[in-house]
Amino acid sequence: MMSHSERRGVDKDSRVGKDGRAGLVTGVRFRLNGIAFEREVPVGWTLLRYLRDGLGYTGTKCGCEIGECGACTVLFNGEAVNSCLVLASQIDGAQIWTIEGVAPTGGRELHPVQRAFVESGAVHCGFCTPGMVMSAIGLLLKSRNPTETEMRSAIDGNLCRCTGYVQVIDAVKGSVSQVSDADLAKFRPAVGTARTEQAGRA
Amino acid sequence: MLNVVYYARPQSIEEALELMASGDLTPIAGGTDVIVQLRHGGPRKLIDVTGLGLDRVREDGEYVEIGACVTHSTLSRHAALRAGAPLLSLAAGSVGTEQIRNRGTIGGNMVNASPSADTVPALLSHDAELVLVSQSGTRTVPVGEFISGPYFTEKRADELLHSIRCRKAGAGARVAFIKVGRREAVNISRMTVALHAEMGKDGTAREIRLSVGSAFPTACRLGEVEALVRGNKCTEKLFREAGALASALMVKRTGVRWSTPYKQPVLAGLVERALREAVGRRRE
Repeated sequence: MMSHSERRGVDKDSRVGKDGRAGLVTGVRFRLNGIAFEREVPVGWTLLRYLRDGLGYTGTKCGCEIGECGACTVLFNGEAVNSCLVLASQIDGAQIWTIEGVAPTGGRELHPVQRAFVESGAVHCGFCTPGMVMSAIGLLLKSRNPTETEMRSAIDGNLCRCTGYVQVIDAVKGSVSQVSDADLAKFRPAVGTARTEQAGRA
Repeated sequence: MLNVVYYARPQSIEEALELMASGDLTPIAGGTDVIVQLRHGGPRKLIDVTGLGLDRVREDGEYVEIGACVTHSTLSRHAALRAGAPLLSLAAGSVGTEQIRNRGTIGGNMVNASPSADTVPALLSHDAELVLVSQSGTRTVPVGEFISGPYFTEKRADELLHSIRCRKAGAGARVAFIKVGRREAVNISRMTVALHAEMGKDGTAREIRLSVGSAFPTACRLGEVEALVRGNKCTEKLFREAGALASALMVKRTGVRWSTPYKQPVLAGLVERALREAVGRRRE
């Protein structure tokens, strides 16, 4: 698995579309997996395409490209979103986490959420797994003690053709009991990001 | 490559309205409808409205004011909305999936104006109003008058939807929100019923607002059914009559379609169930 430093050489010229046309570009500054980026991105690309083809972060998968399968799920300012439904031009100021950033830096051990997925047998073909892990983290960022209904609701946008979801729910339950506040800290957007101020308090 | 030929993200409403004056910009917020639509159809010029501070919920005395960019996720979790606009909160919580709810906005749901938009029947039963702004000024339009047909609204090309206002539901308000579809999630509703009722001391419904989605060309209030129920004793017989009337209204207005054998009994059943849930229960 490539580390962040090894990916530096992977930036392709993301301004040129498949047909060779140079599309409209716009400048964005964003944080990806804790690292600050400043780039020009094509306005016609989705974040999904930009992550995979522009930056070489292929852990996030492409399934349906219309927001119905969840394979492309990433954390965007602390919330699970379909990266196929975010334009690359919309990431200015955003804090984004993909599956590549989940394990503690150094990549020698797994994050408790990843370990729960492995130990619960929730990884079969593995295609839905990055999206499921990001959705599970998204759930824990909103609720540290979710009910089973909330767990099922949190993955209701992640399709899995292998597990029947049983082991996935087990993995989410395992995550809830194994994860500490410290394990979630890096995913929380820094104060000042638009969404953090609007959520109501019970 | 999606067919975007222009993209701007203004930082103030004044700047946004200046850009909107050209009349050919498509507002984008969460993008859950717009980006899907970009895959079909011609080139679009986009104006990103997420930098305008329209993502706040504000309580204003008896009213709650919801910015157009408030997401379904926030609508379903926000304490003031769960209490003050419970139908809206329930409806928003039923939209799409968790990922879509984290991006999709109430404004987008409204302006996209799908006949099966989940928040619309809820807002109709909350008697909500929309605030629209442009360089010519501000105007307020009741929700029922804003949507004029499937995917058609009264919003002018130079206008932005700013916010939605509803009167807070009273403490004694009874609500029921029922959404029917082909599956539990990722579910474009086939029928929605949103009911808001206030009971009188004599056990009759003093105030009743019943809205239905995905059954008529646009979501709408069923005034005739409301009139039938209002002021009368809440019995099973009344609920059955209300359901039958709702069904009959649907067939009368939309004619007999391929979906009628399904929707006719389902609408009757949902209206009965909503009434039973909301006003049929005795107080604990």
